[in-house]
Amino acid sequence: MAQPRILALIAMAGVGLAACGGGSTGGAAANKPNKVQIAAEGPFTGDEASIGAGALQAIQLAVKDFNNAGGVNGTPVTLLIWDDQHSAQVAQTLQAQGISDPTVLGIVGPMNSGVVLGSVQGLQSATPPLPFVSESASNVKVTDSGNSVAHRVNARDDAQGPADAKFMIDQGAKKVYVMDAKSDYSTGLADQTQAYLASHNIPYQRDQAKAGQKDFSTTITKIKAFGADWVYFADEGPEAAPFVSQMKQQGLTIGQNINFLGTDGEEDSSIITTSQGAYDGAYATNITADPAGVSGSAAAAYVTAFKAAYGPDSVSKAGPFYGSAYEAAQALLQAIKNSPVNNGKISRADVISHLGSDTFTTIFGSVKFDSKGDVQGGGIYVYKATGSNMVVVKQVSG
Amino acid sequence: MDYFLQNFPQQLVNGLEAGSLYALIALGYTLIYGILEMLNFAHGDVYMVGAFLAAGAAGVFVHNEVAAVPAGLAVALMMVVAMGGAGLLGVGIERVAYRPLRNANRLAPLITAIGVSLFLESAVQVWVSPAPVLVPSNALVPQTVFHVGTVVTPLTGVMLFVVAVALMVALDAFVFRTRFGSAMRATAQDREAATFMGIDVDRVIMVTFFLASALAGMGGVLFGLRYASVDFFMGYLLGIKAFTAAVIGGIGNIRGAMVGGLLLGVLESLVGGFISSQFQDSFVFLALITVLLIRPQGLFGQPLADRA
Repeated sequence: MAQPRILALIAMAGVGLAACGGGSTGGAAANKPNKVQIAAEGPFTGDEASIGAGALQAIQLAVKDFNNAGGVNGTPVTLLIWDDQHSAQVAQTLQAQGISDPTVLGIVGPMNSGVVLGSVQGLQSATPPLPFVSESASNVKVTDSGNSVAHRVNARDDAQGPADAKFMIDQGAKKVYVMDAKSDYSTGLADQTQAYLASHNIPYQRDQAKAGQKDFSTTITKIKAFGADWVYFADEGPEAAPFVSQMKQQGLTIGQNINFLGTDGEEDSSIITTSQGAYDGAYATNITADPAGVSGSAAAAYVTAFKAAYGPDSVSKAGPFYGSAYEAAQALLQAIKNSPVNNGKISRADVISHLGSDTFTTIFGSVKFDSKGDVQGGGIYVYKATGSNMVVVKQVSG
Repeated sequence: MDYFLQNFPQQLVNGLEAGSLYALIALGYTLIYGILEMLNFAHGDVYMVGAFLAAGAAGVFVHNEVAAVPAGLAVALMMVVAMGGAGLLGVGIERVAYRPLRNANRLAPLITAIGVSLFLESAVQVWVSPAPVLVPSNALVPQTVFHVGTVVTPLTGVMLFVVAVALMVALDAFVFRTRFGSAMRATAQDREAATFMGIDVDRVIMVTFFLASALAGMGGVLFGLRYASVDFFMGYLLGIKAFTAAVIGGIGNIRGAMVGGLLLGVLESLVGGFISSQFQDSFVFLALITVLLIRPQGLFGQPLADRA
């Protein structure tokens, strides 16, 4: 309850100072916005909490770091937490709060392509439109629909799918068992990969896993009957560990008589532990970089700070997007900071134009969005499970 | 046809393994429904908590050097911790969320059950881990794989099947052959009349919840050993499948739950193996609808106690 009172004091002080300055719009106080809010949106609970929870921690840390460095000309940014539970309906309800409150200047998220596609119209048609920077939504339609609010720091499916297929072919794939996990993200990605395989005359069989599936014996029997030498699994969830453990039990050992290529959620080194080593030798591609897996002092410092804030084992529980979530928050916060302040207010229209025009400094280096809202030079990273770590073996630039 | 014949035995075995887990959880739904005529929708999450208790116990007994014990003993301790813990949790849930509502509108406990279910999921996600947690099954049970003809199955899969069936037989004997079992059946038949006969109904209900939840806890242990990882959301899907199995078999009927679970597992496996994984769930629920249309009371009909 103390917050409104403090805000009132700050506002009064601002009025006082402005009066001293002779009512001009110049001076530090006039550049100080009264209130700045951003929202973190993602599946922080529910079936996709394994990717959402770590991303939220990253965004909270980004806002804290930004405020410690002075916030927006002295005004700390307030973070709203919108837990969409991987549902576009829930997302729309949450976003309605932000749409009606002009001090909510942007969203970090939504994380799931399906949620973005189901709620982007509302954000775009708001007055003024409410911009978002997603850390993980990779479906091509997210930025291809011509919405000025849409931005993302991760690479797209049409970059990842062909890159994944090409990687398998380069490694000598003869027959590929292509699996998705029944979501807008993974079905779209598997389609892209499958199309590339088909156009290169690589035989494939398509199959589907369910979110939360644990028993893969039916699928593995089919993989063996098909005689695949590669399994491709487009997945963002926690299904990989039981899947590869059971492959091994049924006689398919990765690196010996089968190869495995996973996607985003599967570059997580904890899969090696949770599969008790069955994952060793598997590959995974990611549409964002893992701060622990790339070189660069900013990324390394971030990993240290993350562990300091959330505990030594926090990175292994944080999921694949704890780096890109911090990066997305940095971009949004810097765009807000670069926007002009008029009478203590920042306009969302200005934030959108700065998101489009500015170059941002992030833990992964400089970031700039193109005219559609895609990140320029967004790369696909190929990881390999080696020992107890996922090591970057290749970067395919997008 | 060749493809079918070659792969059928393996898919059948796959289905029986998955089905025995469904059956074990379905028993819990059916036991509690039989006694209280309420659907304990938190049951799937009790199973999830049991699995986490097993994972926690395994972590302590395997990795911690102070408490490290031989593998066989560690597995036994996991079972004690998971069954005991889940059992007590079930009793606690009944005491807090259902007993105060026992004479309320029948919808009320259904809502609290959903509430408890969401609470358990969120609590484990926030306090334990949003990411899957390892059960070090490699260190606990031999990773033997059996080859019978073309069929391949790991020891843990066989264990899942054998232990589940043994528990079901034991439960069946308990309910139909013991004095306490008669008290349970009497309570199921007519709670008031059972009270007049000197049966402590509260105690019967408590024991029922303990048994049902302990079976779920055992399901958690067997699952952990077979699939090696547990996560906070694992009870949701399995709970729905087990509930479906219980309804197919005839909810309230113990043998029905067993058969329903095994049937469901085999059906899923065969549909997934020979038709399409995409339609697995559609076929499962189509089967449910078909059974309900032809035999609304389920395959085995009568509940725990024969009702007029």
